[in-house]
Amino acid sequence: MDFANNPSFFHQGPRPGVRLALCVLLSVALLIGDSRFSLMEHLREGLSVVLYPLQRAVNVPFAGARHVIDFFTAQAELKAENDALKNQRLQMSAQLLRLATVEREYRELRQLNDIKSSRAEGGQLAEVLYTGRDPFSYKLIIDKGEDAHIRPGQPVIDSQGLIGQVTRVQPLTAEVTLIIDKNHMVPVMIERTGARAILYGYGGGVEVRYLSNQADVHQQDLLVTSGIDDLYPAGLPVARVGKVERNTGAAFARLATSPMAGVQQSRFVLVLNQKQHVPARPATADAKQNATE
Amino acid sequence: MSFDRPRELLKPVKRRFIYLTFAIAILVELIPLPAGSTRWLPDLIGLLLLYWVINQPRRINIGSAFLLGLIADVATAGLFGQHALAYSVTSYLALMQQRQLVMFNLGQQALAVLGLMLANQAIMVVARMITGAAFVGWSYFLPPLIAALLWPLLTKLLLLPYRQHSV
Repeated sequence: MDFANNPSFFHQGPRPGVRLALCVLLSVALLIGDSRFSLMEHLREGLSVVLYPLQRAVNVPFAGARHVIDFFTAQAELKAENDALKNQRLQMSAQLLRLATVEREYRELRQLNDIKSSRAEGGQLAEVLYTGRDPFSYKLIIDKGEDAHIRPGQPVIDSQGLIGQVTRVQPLTAEVTLIIDKNHMVPVMIERTGARAILYGYGGGVEVRYLSNQADVHQQDLLVTSGIDDLYPAGLPVARVGKVERNTGAAFARLATSPMAGVQQSRFVLVLNQKQHVPARPATADAKQNATE
Repeated sequence: MSFDRPRELLKPVKRRFIYLTFAIAILVELIPLPAGSTRWLPDLIGLLLLYWVINQPRRINIGSAFLLGLIADVATAGLFGQHALAYSVTSYLALMQQRQLVMFNLGQQALAVLGLMLANQAIMVVARMITGAAFVGWSYFLPPLIAALLWPLLTKLLLLPYRQHSV
């Protein structure tokens, strides 16, 4: 019989001192073997394999509890996360759109700046404030006026080509008549041949009238300002020939043309300064020009 | 904490029960606890070993301490032999004083256990430092304090199944 308070006078087996010496010796041997020579790796591996099922068994309830907690929190968390992500996506797309706009503006400005510095006469950068409200005329209002010494007659271009002409100037703003406006004419020449013509706006587009049936003009020909009349500097791209229709019954060829510039798209425009030192116009200039057409 | 505790007549302790308690202690050692809890969690295997060495010296002695130490080494992923060495030495010390320790009341026993557990930690620290580890700091000696505080509770708990009147 064994009791907790049973004093044990008789020890079985070797005496405690001997046992201790044996165990200490073994332990020290193990310690040295493990730390110095890594001899115990195999034994450790074996024991850990034995302990592995225990570890797994101990882990199971905890992992299960975590699973259950996860299951219940996941729903709310996912919902919140989803909402946050959606919100973020909206903001991002808005930012992206703004970025695209800004990039476009930046490109436009760069190109305009290049043109400005490349042209001898110089010009002034202006922003389009709004388009005219009158549906019958094609006009733009820009944010430069008398304060910037804009005068009627100055050509207005964007990075692609001619847009129109300043026709009215207010103290702070100016009105630009677009080349597609009815009654607006631009003296042009076909860049390839140098043949001169007049480009008429017809309200929403441009066309070349009164070009003889035999005139040398092809599709994709570029029409540039001819510089005649001293109003527009020579060489500004204006329009491209789309389709040439030669009707034997008619005296003139019909040319479908489209403006080069983003006439109704550009946000920034360049108002070119007019040439200085223009010699006085001879009295018969109009008559002569009419004859050439 | 009266002196009459050791004189209480108890039922014989079954060998199975001892093994069961050790198995539970090892399992507890294997529970995945949050990092940092090892700084204050007492060494349950060591504490239980001291309990059985003090109360059942004929069944649990230095050899069992050595084997348990090996298991603890693997379970705690320590250096092989550090727990074995510490447990062997402390269980020897406990065994030498066993006849006095059994007569102590719980408070005195707790003090003795504190000393033994501190010796445990000290042996392990020395073993690790000799084999080239850095000193881990004085907080390493905090778990023995908690173990000593737990001693009365552990004793009451383990005596529970062997009280005569509990049948």
